Amino acid sequence: MPPPPLPGLKDADAVELVRFVDSFVPATAAGLDGPGRVTARRLNRAEYNNTIRDFLGVTTRPADQFPVDNQGYGFDNIGDVLTLSPMLMEKYMAAARSVSRIAVYGEGYEKKPGIIGKFMIKTVQDDGQVSGNVLPFSIRGTLEAVYHAPVEADYLFQFRMLNRRGRAPGVGRGRGVLTEAEKKAQLEASRNAAPPVDFQIDVDGRMVKKETVVGEEAFDYTRGPTVAKVHLTAGDHKIHVYIPDHANLDNPLANLNPDGRRRLGAEFMEVLGPYNPVVAKPPTYSNIFVCGGQDDACARQIVESLARRGFRRAPTQAEIERLLKLVAMVRKQGDSFEEGIRVALQSILVSPAFLFRMETDPVDATGSYRINDYELASRLSYFIWGSMPDETLLQLAAGKRLSDRTVLEAQVGRMLRDAKASNLVDSFAVQWLDIRALDRKKPDAAKFPNVDDELLGAMRKETLMFTSEIFREDRSLLDFIDGKFTYVNGPLARYYGIGGVDGFDFKRVSLEGTERGGIVSQASILALTSYATRTSPVIRGKWVLQTLLGAAPPPPPADVPALEETRPGNEASVRVRLEQHRANPACAACHQSMDPIGFGLENFDAAGAWRTHEGKFAVDSSGVLPDGQSFTGVSGLRKILRSQAPQFTRNLTEQMLTYALGRGVESYDRATVDKINKRVMANGNKLSSLVLAIVESEPFLMRMKEGKLNASR
Amino acid sequence: MRPDKRPTRRSLLRGAGTALALPFLDAMVPAFASVVSPTRMAFLYVPNGIVMDEWTPRTGTGVGEGAIPAELPRITSAIAPYRKELLFLSGLDCNGGNALGDGPGDHGRAGAAYLTATHPRKSAGKDVLAGTSVDQVVARKMQGVTRFASIELGCEEGVQGGNCDNGYSCTYSNTLAWKSPTTPLPPEVRPRAVFERLFGSLDLGSDPAQRRRQEMYEKSILDGVLEDANRLRTSLGGADQHKIDEYLTSVREIETRIQSVERGEGDVKYLVPSASVPSDFGEHSRLMLDLMVLAFQTDLTRVSTLLFSIEQSPRAYGAEAGIPEGHHGLTHHSGDKEKIEKVTRINSYHIQSLVYVLDKLKAIREGEGTLLDHSMIAYGSGISDGNLHDHSNLPLILAGGANGRLKGGRHIRYAKGTPMADLFVSMLDRMGVEGERFGDSQGKLDRLSI
Repeated sequence: MPPPPLPGLKDADAVELVRFVDSFVPATAAGLDGPGRVTARRLNRAEYNNTIRDFLGVTTRPADQFPVDNQGYGFDNIGDVLTLSPMLMEKYMAAARSVSRIAVYGEGYEKKPGIIGKFMIKTVQDDGQVSGNVLPFSIRGTLEAVYHAPVEADYLFQFRMLNRRGRAPGVGRGRGVLTEAEKKAQLEASRNAAPPVDFQIDVDGRMVKKETVVGEEAFDYTRGPTVAKVHLTAGDHKIHVYIPDHANLDNPLANLNPDGRRRLGAEFMEVLGPYNPVVAKPPTYSNIFVCGGQDDACARQIVESLARRGFRRAPTQAEIERLLKLVAMVRKQGDSFEEGIRVALQSILVSPAFLFRMETDPVDATGSYRINDYELASRLSYFIWGSMPDETLLQLAAGKRLSDRTVLEAQVGRMLRDAKASNLVDSFAVQWLDIRALDRKKPDAAKFPNVDDELLGAMRKETLMFTSEIFREDRSLLDFIDGKFTYVNGPLARYYGIGGVDGFDFKRVSLEGTERGGIVSQASILALTSYATRTSPVIRGKWVLQTLLGAAPPPPPADVPALEETRPGNEASVRVRLEQHRANPACAACHQSMDPIGFGLENFDAAGAWRTHEGKFAVDSSGVLPDGQSFTGVSGLRKILRSQAPQFTRNLTEQMLTYALGRGVESYDRATVDKINKRVMANGNKLSSLVLAIVESEPFLMRMKEGKLNASR
Repeated sequence: MRPDKRPTRRSLLRGAGTALALPFLDAMVPAFASVVSPTRMAFLYVPNGIVMDEWTPRTGTGVGEGAIPAELPRITSAIAPYRKELLFLSGLDCNGGNALGDGPGDHGRAGAAYLTATHPRKSAGKDVLAGTSVDQVVARKMQGVTRFASIELGCEEGVQGGNCDNGYSCTYSNTLAWKSPTTPLPPEVRPRAVFERLFGSLDLGSDPAQRRRQEMYEKSILDGVLEDANRLRTSLGGADQHKIDEYLTSVREIETRIQSVERGEGDVKYLVPSASVPSDFGEHSRLMLDLMVLAFQTDLTRVSTLLFSIEQSPRAYGAEAGIPEGHHGLTHHSGDKEKIEKVTRINSYHIQSLVYVLDKLKAIREGEGTLLDHSMIAYGSGISDGNLHDHSNLPLILAGGANGRLKGGRHIRYAKGTPMADLFVSMLDRMGVEGERFGDSQGKLDRLSI
């Protein structure tokens, strides 16, 4: 039997207890709460892509070809775990080769137009064996892709539309020989059985073609591909092929045949081109060739400017001389001035000073010291933008003015207002909330047939747009707990039972008067904290404790049997079986804190849809926390979480500090975390105050000299 | 100095900017030794059946054989000039393509059963199961003999994964070659990718002198960054130094991989294919056939498959043959004369690719004869009548001399129900693989070399 709840500690006793325990923490006891020391950080994949984009204007995302970066402390920008293998070095070399070519000569493209891209769509939902350019499965028959055009030119997008809306009863296709009259009747019957439907092709949100799928049974076989001709600038373009009516299907499964194949939809896309390419110096050219001549002085000027941006600091004389030697060697071989610069650029792109964010101890430093202004510029820009410092930051650093408190504060404000600050959502929040897990843990296709990749994508997008609003609009961070608004499109609105939203585009909606609100009731989070076939109050409870409150329970002891995986909803509800599990006192201690939180979310199934029953059992969404507080349902849970606001912001502070520093938060960071959290709470729990407090904290501005850190531990 | 200046067979040469294997040149044959050129084998596949009335030479009925007449039906008339160098084989069945209790799904089965002579498992998921294909049986023998055991080519990218034909995985129709019963070898459809696989990456440019310069630049770049890193290392502390050491090790390792190989100029001239895939079928198939012939000529491989188009292919031959409707849809003509005419024209269009490859093979001299004399090129489909999904009496042309072990000029009519696997056993024999059994074979096919 689980032990009965005990009365909680009195507040004064609790404070005294914490002080007592603290006295055993060496750093606090000795007052050694120094800034710590960050290991040199290799650019991770996202940072590499962003840096190449901002440095040279090249948007080919070369790092997508690199191996996936390791994570530490929940983030993929931790210096200690970002390793460099020969295989990665080879990829760096190839990327430097390709990027430098594109920057100097423009992206290579075939002079003779042909098929230059092919995108396949998964044909069924649960298909594991996919490779190449495979696009998500959409029950509604949507095709969504990003195409990178190598050069400004005309392109042809070629699609095949499927039309498998069945045939009239008694009329077959294929084998056998039909009379003319039978053929005519077959055609007529299939036309009547399937009324015409429009489909539409958008490029970058603009409609480029609309066509009608007629109700002819042999449509997908006899008609050729649909072709849309589009003029594209070089770079990425969003392609969306869809049937507008399908966004508003109350039951998307209506678009599936009994054999699981779609009745209507796009099947694949081919890109043909480039036709009539616009031949011009690439826009990236002028970023590099900052002077018109081809003499030594100009070469020096170009190389200095490239090295300064590439190394994110003033290059040394030795570095410049080495690069100029390369330029001279290339010219001596009879290649052009431009080629010489390109080779120098390729060299910069594989230099340790480019690939790593390196900070060096000043010779005269003792103990902890302030990092220099260039190092600060990089820390700032990679924290807020996930990319290199821009010209403003580099100039402020050159003049040693960035570290000035007023300047720094103004710069943080400017950087947060910049569009590049969206990286805090795409990189920080995505990892903090573990949204990427949705790729690995998706609801079972057989059990949740209407949750296709497209709907999962909409769920993910909802969470990102919700987070983005909190960050961008500088709303209270507590909206993560109970913000009564969100973003949905037609399919997701229908999934949630929200009226008034049609179409594939997302709209902001108020959640006042509904059960949903805050991040815990978003389908993305509910799905990624479930098993494929059933909910897990344990995982959900753990996610809330760990991700929102930073209070992860310890892992279960090794000898504990897992919950038996029978068919939930048949013999007993998941809740009842978990309660049996908790009867074991060894399990009870932790499960007492996790399970009740998860019970509060039991009204949401494993794919995040609202439910009142689990199988034949009515859902019981009440919970009793270890301190005896009881609550019911998601709204009750939200109130409890709201009462834990200081713990929530403290955890968010620790998470963001980890991300900002690229190292784990240690015991000696406690005072820093306390200080930041106090500032955040005093300033309305806003992102801007959190970011600024982190930037102005000791570990962000300072570094411990090598060797001193261990001594203080 | 090497005393014997004759090049070795697989010595690497430089031509068209890349390392090209030396062709099987006369220079390599010692003057007094008699050397037999190796036999090459290829399977060329067209989907959705053939209009058989316009395919089969009219040489009588019943079991037996007759000389191929100069006048051939419409589809095959284009190959008439080669009639002395090829065989028409009639009456061969691919029984594995039949339902055998598994219901519809003839297209999926046809593709997978064709070269494996097995009945593929009905599965749209991950547990696909067919058999090792005949080309792969030879390929296994070629491990270590030629640089590539086999090459798999295609002119139409398959639909990826999932259910393509009534519960049959798309893998079945996408793939002719099966390395093992569970390992399909999907074909490569991009000519540039095939070229780079055979002859090396074109990243550094296509002109040999340019490539040499680029390699030198890259070596200098690496030397330079090593210098930088070493300098930097001294100013860093423990953990950071460890990062730089990782960097140094990695740079040194890739530096050793950039090696200057001494190169001569190759005799084989070949235009580097563009990176885009041609949208014109003819151009695409000709490029693929060029690459196949080149790989045979240079003895990089002796075994190849080429899937011109996948089963159930909806491809429209509008620009190529004036037929804008999809191929597969037309083959379900329900007796419609107009549709049959269009299928006939598609079939006639496809066979031009066979003529093209025979032209190429014949133009290449090798030893006492031509490359065609040393090859076995099979051309056919796993379905005869596309409207009825018939897997019996399949269309099949076997071209080439197989080093004197095929005697062309004849249309051989085998007994009804003869497994095509019998042909495979005979072909395996000609590729040096002994045995009496393959798939559902009952023995060897007689009459091939008289």
